[in-house]
Amino acid sequence: MESVAIIGAGQTKYGDFPGLGVKELFAEAYLEMLQSVDRGLEQQRIGAAYIGSLSAGSGFQLGQLAPLLMGHVGLPHVNAARIENACASGGYALYSAACAVASGKFDLVLAAGVEKMRDVSSSKGRYWLGVSGDTEYERLAGSTFAGIYALMAARYMHEYGLKREHLSMVAVKNHRHAVSNPKAQFRKEITIEQALKGVPVAHPFNVWDCSPTTDGAAVVLLCNAKIAKEFTDKPVYLKGFGAASDYLAIHDRDSMTRLLATRKAADEAYKQAGVGPKDIDFAEVHDCFTIAEILAYGDLGFAEEGRAQYLLEEGFTQLDGKLPVNASGGLKAKGHPIGATGCGMACEVFKQLRDEAKEPSRQIKNARYALSHNVGGSGGTAAVFIYQRGDA
Amino acid sequence: MGAHISIPMYQRAVPQRYRLVGQRCGACGKINFPPKAVCKYCYQGTSFEDVQLSGRGTVYSYTVIAGGGAPPEFAAEARCKGSYPVIIVELAEGPRVIAQMVNPPEEGIAIGMPVKAVFRKIYEEEGVIRYGFKFSPA
Ligand SMILES: [Zn+2]
Repeated sequence: MESVAIIGAGQTKYGDFPGLGVKELFAEAYLEMLQSVDRGLEQQRIGAAYIGSLSAGSGFQLGQLAPLLMGHVGLPHVNAARIENACASGGYALYSAACAVASGKFDLVLAAGVEKMRDVSSSKGRYWLGVSGDTEYERLAGSTFAGIYALMAARYMHEYGLKREHLSMVAVKNHRHAVSNPKAQFRKEITIEQALKGVPVAHPFNVWDCSPTTDGAAVVLLCNAKIAKEFTDKPVYLKGFGAASDYLAIHDRDSMTRLLATRKAADEAYKQAGVGPKDIDFAEVHDCFTIAEILAYGDLGFAEEGRAQYLLEEGFTQLDGKLPVNASGGLKAKGHPIGATGCGMACEVFKQLRDEAKEPSRQIKNARYALSHNVGGSGGTAAVFIYQRGDA
Repeated sequence: MGAHISIPMYQRAVPQRYRLVGQRCGACGKINFPPKAVCKYCYQGTSFEDVQLSGRGTVYSYTVIAGGGAPPEFAAEARCKGSYPVIIVELAEGPRVIAQMVNPPEEGIAIGMPVKAVFRKIYEEEGVIRYGFKFSPA
């Protein structure tokens, strides 16, 4: 297997952009990625492109979205395909691109994600968010993903004494982190009192426990590690990549306090990278709802299952803690443009591991290994990546 | 705009939605609900015998969906009731199911409380009222 490096990454600001469609968002991220390649890139060398998107512009281009987007940025003939696994579409695009490079078939492969969610009414938006879970039973019980994650939170509270305040601590931390991220959708701190008292969504969640709907795109350029130094002195190595599935429906799973898809994906990624949870210096994890970040601490090996909440109490995962989690603001405050999220995490890691997370600084110092974690829906799919800085 | 479950698709699941019919695996004897092509417990069995589930069980977890958390086809219900509870039930025969709860106790739902299945209107699509199971305190 060939080794894989990231040599360029770009993303739009996440937010609400009435003036930009799917094509414009993608192009903005793509051009920023090109700019980020230190010694430039002859773009015709790109061999393939995998583009993650759930709704393809809320249904505007469900079929053949990838060639449409690549034609818009001057690569009409590249081997391009859309990848879909709900909120993990971007992660699976990255995973597919990594496999394509590792196979030796291609030297340069694009991984991207894009989602345009803010064009449609909130009812249509919720339609799109609700058709990636178990439509036959979960949905007909009157539940969307908020309800499913709420069921996990209630069970976690029952089994492990998790408190409502712990959920809010995730929201407060990630909102604080987003203040320093110029790409984030919400750059405003919230207090714990605010976070505890939002409009109810699905008990125990209020609106501050839920990630927003977001427009955005992210593009990452992968290459065979052998040629990485041709493009930059500071590549970021993708040392491990794992992905796995689980039953789509929550009632089919044995446990509601862990995501087996994450655990299997993490095992695969750690094994390939030859590192463990203790080696990770910072992580971007999938906090679509506050409980999801708490589950991730356990599933990624940062804490024992049932003890994740104590990491929050100790400040272990804040920007100045031992293991900063979601320095970008996370899905919660950076934003969650479904298909783009997994690649947007890679953009953040790329910046951090090249010491470029500035203006104003949220730079994590002396980091060597990083992890990103992207989940589809309530855990039907998950992808985990381990990165190593390459300028040493 | 609701999740689209066509009338034929709904009808194909009538044994499950109306009567809670599960399938006993010929290989390991465990009960699958909803049905699978290959048994979810032993990953081996492909032949099954229909079994009528009792509809009795206990609450494994619960939530209360407010207006903002309801899918569009349930938004009117959430508006009219203010909110509605959704629970995971561990059935006496083993499988877990997800459904709404009716007549929740005033002091609130508790994990572990006994419930029983009742037949109710679920929602309406394409002008046809869809019926199925919910749970009430037992
Ligand atoms: Zn079996």
